[in-house]
Amino acid sequence: MEHNWDFSAVFANKQLLLIGLQNTIVLGALCLCLGLFFGLFVGAARYSRMRAFNWPATAFVEVFRNTPVLVQIMWFFFAFPIISPFEINAFTAAALGLTLNTTAFSSEIYRAGIQSIHKGQWEAAKAIGMGYVQQMRRIILPQAIKRMIPAFMNRAVELMKMTSLASVIAYGELMHQAKTISTIEFNPIEMYTAVAIIFFIMIYPAAMLVQRFEEQLRARE
Amino acid sequence: MTEVLKIESLRKSFSELEVLRGIDLSLRKSETVVVLGASGSGKSTLLRCVNFMEIPSGGRITLQGTPIGREVKGAIAYDERELTPLRARVGMVFQHFNLFPHMTARQNVMEGPKTVLGLDAAECSRRADKYLEKVGLGWKADEYPAQLSGGQQQRIAIARALAMEPDLMLFDEATSALDPELVGEVLETMKELAEEGMTMLIVTHELGFAYTVADRVLFLSEGKILEQGDPETVLIHPKEEGTKNFLRGHGSFRLPEPQLD
Repeated sequence: MEHNWDFSAVFANKQLLLIGLQNTIVLGALCLCLGLFFGLFVGAARYSRMRAFNWPATAFVEVFRNTPVLVQIMWFFFAFPIISPFEINAFTAAALGLTLNTTAFSSEIYRAGIQSIHKGQWEAAKAIGMGYVQQMRRIILPQAIKRMIPAFMNRAVELMKMTSLASVIAYGELMHQAKTISTIEFNPIEMYTAVAIIFFIMIYPAAMLVQRFEEQLRARE
Repeated sequence: MTEVLKIESLRKSFSELEVLRGIDLSLRKSETVVVLGASGSGKSTLLRCVNFMEIPSGGRITLQGTPIGREVKGAIAYDERELTPLRARVGMVFQHFNLFPHMTARQNVMEGPKTVLGLDAAECSRRADKYLEKVGLGWKADEYPAQLSGGQQQRIAIARALAMEPDLMLFDEATSALDPELVGEVLETMKELAEEGMTMLIVTHELGFAYTVADRVLFLSEGKILEQGDPETVLIHPKEEGTKNFLRGHGSFRLPEPQLD
């Protein structure tokens, strides 16, 4: 089939697309920051030997790792409001789903990173008289975080892609804006192509950076 | 004479396995005691109980006259808040050095004084210089552990422990992981410490070192002290069959005195 590519409608709507892009970035950045923050605590709880911490954290991580993000977002938008006492708009639902999902994944990254540090490091720190918090802060985390960075950057890339799922609950991120414009302008080919290109331009450099970083890290160890 | 360390009927079990079965041992100030024994005899566990890297299952440990732990209904209860500051007073050197790889030699040595003792920058710096110099590695101060040889790493680890200015130093097979040509420099450092009057409890397989440096040698077998005394008595005129067998195993192949000049 012949198609005459015409991107003029894409450019004509660039203001709407920019708003979408902005919303995508806001959602992605917020969920990344919150997910990394909460992930540290969930990871610590999973690492804990106390069952009161360990068990709920494990249940949380397994639920969020083993269900589709799309289902999580839909659930927070359509199901959660029925049982929750407060209003939930599209942004909140999407942010909840993506944040909790990122929390679950990043807690695993923290846990694996910390466990990858040789137990001799804990012992040496303990033997000079450090308490648990000092051992963690001065000796373990500085080494572990370096190993975690590529995994976190990968997660950030995944998360940016996942924000497009928020379009199904009509949050005005890039994908949703494109969908709206394309139904008005009847140009799905150009519109979705443009969205793909925008995502690619945003994500490809980050993905390259991760790869470079991983290679560097491997070379150093 | 004050005892730096007193151990009374120390026991340690790991679930079913009883590793230490009643050890009594005292170290006076400036004394160097070497612990020998086959692998699995409990030497390392003994050392690790002294600074509570392992919590004893029974018995009492007294450091500088202070009994550690609280007696509760016939057993001893230990509180991590009591043990943490106590570890700062007991230096430990590990088989695998365990230097902090993200810190330079100097930062490794300063870490304890800075983070644990909270000393000011000038004092931390003074200690770093002093103890790096003591182990002969002042010139390697700004190198990272990965850039150092095994022997140098172990000497930095010794400096790191010394920088806490501990009452007692523990050496857990400090030369076992080293290539043979690097063993000498570490033993030499340990010998100097002993001569300067550091109180030391040493687990090693270096019989020559034990013979030359130790004030007292213990032979551990199946979690008990089988034989002890001055090096001459235990290493040259052993009485117990277990000690004799151990020494036979270690002396199967030996050189006559090499002619080196």
